[in-house]
Amino acid sequence: MNKPVLDIRDLSVSYNTPRGPLRALRNVSMKIPDKKIVGIVGESGCGKSTLISAIIRLMAPNATVGTGEILFKDKNLLDRTTTEMRNLLGVDISMVFQDPMQTHNPVLTVGKQMVDIQYRDSLPKADKRKRAAEMLSKVGIPDADARLNQYPFEFSGGMRQRIAIAMALMAKPSLLIADEPTTALDATLEVQVIKRLRELQEEVGCAILFISHHLGVIAELCDEVVVMYAGEVIEQGSVRDVFHDPAHPYTRALLDCDPGHIKEKTRNLPTIPGEIPDLVDVADGCIFQARCTHVHGACANRPNLQPVNVAHNVACHLNQTEGAV
Amino acid sequence: MSTDIKTRSEIGEILYHLTRDRLGLAGLIIVSLIVFSAILAPWIVPYDPIAMNIPDRLQGPSLSHLLGTDQLGRDTFSRVIMGGRVALQVAIPTIAGAISIGLFLGMIAGYGPKWLDTLIVLLFDTLRSFPTVMFALAVVALVGPSLNTVILVIMITSIPTYGRVVRTLTQSLRSSEFITAEKSLGASTTRILGVHILPNVLGPLAVLAAMDIPTVVGLEAGLSFLGMGVKPPTPSWGSLLNDGYSLIRNTPWLIISGGIPLILTTLGFTFLGEALRDVVDPKLRGRGGVK
Amino acid sequence: MSALLEVDDVIVRFNIRSGLLQSGISIDAVSGVDLKVEEGKTYGIVGESGSGKTTLARAIAGLHHASEGSIRYRGRELRDLPESQFRQLRREIVMMFQDPIGSLSPRLSIKSLVTEPFRIQGMKDRDLDAEAKRLLAMVGLPQEFASRYPYQISGGQARRVGVARALALGPKLLIADEPTAGLDVSIQGEMLNLLARLQDELGLAIMIITHNLNVVRHITDNVGIMYLGKLVEEGPTEQVFANPQHPYTLALLAANPEPDPDAQLMRVELQGEPPSVMQRPTGCEFHNRCPFVKPDCNSIVPTWTDIGNGRSHRCRYPETWKMNENTQ
Repeated sequence: MNKPVLDIRDLSVSYNTPRGPLRALRNVSMKIPDKKIVGIVGESGCGKSTLISAIIRLMAPNATVGTGEILFKDKNLLDRTTTEMRNLLGVDISMVFQDPMQTHNPVLTVGKQMVDIQYRDSLPKADKRKRAAEMLSKVGIPDADARLNQYPFEFSGGMRQRIAIAMALMAKPSLLIADEPTTALDATLEVQVIKRLRELQEEVGCAILFISHHLGVIAELCDEVVVMYAGEVIEQGSVRDVFHDPAHPYTRALLDCDPGHIKEKTRNLPTIPGEIPDLVDVADGCIFQARCTHVHGACANRPNLQPVNVAHNVACHLNQTEGAV
Repeated sequence: MSTDIKTRSEIGEILYHLTRDRLGLAGLIIVSLIVFSAILAPWIVPYDPIAMNIPDRLQGPSLSHLLGTDQLGRDTFSRVIMGGRVALQVAIPTIAGAISIGLFLGMIAGYGPKWLDTLIVLLFDTLRSFPTVMFALAVVALVGPSLNTVILVIMITSIPTYGRVVRTLTQSLRSSEFITAEKSLGASTTRILGVHILPNVLGPLAVLAAMDIPTVVGLEAGLSFLGMGVKPPTPSWGSLLNDGYSLIRNTPWLIISGGIPLILTTLGFTFLGEALRDVVDPKLRGRGGVK
Repeated sequence: MSALLEVDDVIVRFNIRSGLLQSGISIDAVSGVDLKVEEGKTYGIVGESGSGKTTLARAIAGLHHASEGSIRYRGRELRDLPESQFRQLRREIVMMFQDPIGSLSPRLSIKSLVTEPFRIQGMKDRDLDAEAKRLLAMVGLPQEFASRYPYQISGGQARRVGVARALALGPKLLIADEPTAGLDVSIQGEMLNLLARLQDELGLAIMIITHNLNVVRHITDNVGIMYLGKLVEEGPTEQVFANPQHPYTLALLAANPEPDPDAQLMRVELQGEPPSVMQRPTGCEFHNRCPFVKPDCNSIVPTWTDIGNGRSHRCRYPETWKMNENTQ
């Protein structure tokens, strides 16, 4: 069995706010296996942005890491110095961000930017440019060599995102973190970007941590999925297991709400009533109990992640009392 | 549920945030000191600022004269306090006038038709092209030096400063989604300008004004230093600098007494203005939360 | 019976001036759209960025000037109507905007915001406090929100305020621009259910502008697909979903996968990039991205074809994919 390229163990992160510490992540654990694509699904307030910022160590000034480790290739990222992180980011850990309109420097040509980020390599400039053009072709941008001379504004959003992916994978990282890379794109462009991402991943052989709230894309792209709610991991497993046999009421409700899932036309769409709980004054017990239709006595105690099946875990008391639900 | 939204009043909100910032607090304290001493000046001055007392002239600081005396035996400390009153007497009407006119012109330039905008910008550029001091000299040569002259001159040359800012803000607000929404409800131009644009412009304007006060005070001091400002024997920090400059060998305390209040005013208002700006901005953008 | 809203061959043209002396370029953001919205029904306009859907919506709401064509509300021509006369109609034709918090004037309280319509329309004799209470209750917001400001509420709550404000005067036509964009999936349903309920209660006709086909499916009666300023397909929603005629419709349907890793996906990948309105492709506007393009698609402009049952489209080779299946 391969060692996971990223192993997050019992991570807790809080933000200092005037009302008190806001516990954005509570005992979050997950493994990203080598060369696999793992999706993180969650809605606003689930903590996925905090998680990413913790991994790349670019947290807000008022953030504090409580417990936990983030092991990248067996070394804890939380112990790394700023210099060490700088040497890792862009080389072995790359990122693609949500907003393609803001990812690139608007006053430099794409070619210059793609050559610049190869600054650690001691190749002659012409070779770097050639690599850049190759990468552009790989992500499906025609006429790559000419387009290196263009500025970001001359490309559409979908193209810019593909360029961002090309740049992220040029260094052949071990881990690519993609934070909602297709959220700002039209659906038809999303299709293109996902396809390229998959192709490149196979070629480069990196692992991908893919964050999205778009369930359909996760189902299509990812091998495994982690479902987060209000700062906790509540279910994880292979995409097939989680989407076909969701064990947690939240996952089930989320799938039910997805309009793509609802086959029959209806005037009364399902929703999850209520709001995410207060993360400053975290109530005891299961984090989802206030909105759960199956809440019962045991829920007053916080459930741990337990296996439902092989490599399929859920944090829910229903799993323990009744077995596979 | 985020139930704990403390809805303080606007002023309360501003004061709360100001006091959390050390420099802002320092600015607030200094400014309050200056303002209060200016208001209460006639009652708190130990001596009559224009009362001469030749035998006691050019003394250094002592218990009876905290900052010494000037060449005519007048108490410097009293003159400093009264000078502060004069400074604010110039600064406040000047800035108030410049803001009123600049606000009006800026809003109609930013929101109105292109030809009006071009015309007003031309006016602003013309006014700005006059170097303030030259303009003041010209006016004074015509009309003679006085407090009102100084106020008028500085006000006219300050209009473009506020006008341009208001114009730019109005232009950017004009294409905001909420203005379009108001138009979709049928709001008239007057309503849009008065209810929706004006309140959003006042915040940055207030910040600008706070930072501008030291400039205006400095201008007044400069004009008075050149003899173009307030007529003697009315004390002004500028005239103190002028006297101190020529008498520096006799006593350095005159020039110190003219300079230090200017420095303090600049620092105080600048700290306050910067802190105000930090308070005003995030509110306009909305509360940033943590994800 | 004539429809509540009739749009005929509307063109919305923008002139971009390039310098004082040069004559500008004109671009047609909306390039000839026909549609009808019936009283009490919902019409969905679906398109991606650059399709012109928002421009069309704003032209109907009187916020953009329509250069050509006809926009008739209850038979009355709206195009070129001076604002002084349009103002009266703004009690009946209202709009909800895409940016929920950004469309609320930041310095006004929620109470002021929902009662704005009354003040603007000069209805000061109403009890504004009571109206505010009624409106907040109508959209399911707690009364204490009345004293809050836009920066103190969430996006979903701000959308409800937008609904409350739009419906304050009991309009007949609501134009909703991306009412669910940015909302979490678990609460998207709340907004759509709210709109459906209010439609039933108030007999409201709704025009929904969105890029999300799945939203449209459940709450619209009819749908129109827009591409580069033109409608490419139109018809009763269920039929369009079951039997798309135009390749772009098919691509949109295929691009919204359901969350099922084993689903049989007919992946229709569009080639290339969305073209710019400044350089319209020749012939059929869609030809350079169409996966089923035929040789003459780049020279002959397809016409809007009515195929009965309220369905129309603009493709010279509709349902090509089915033909491919048949020939294989």
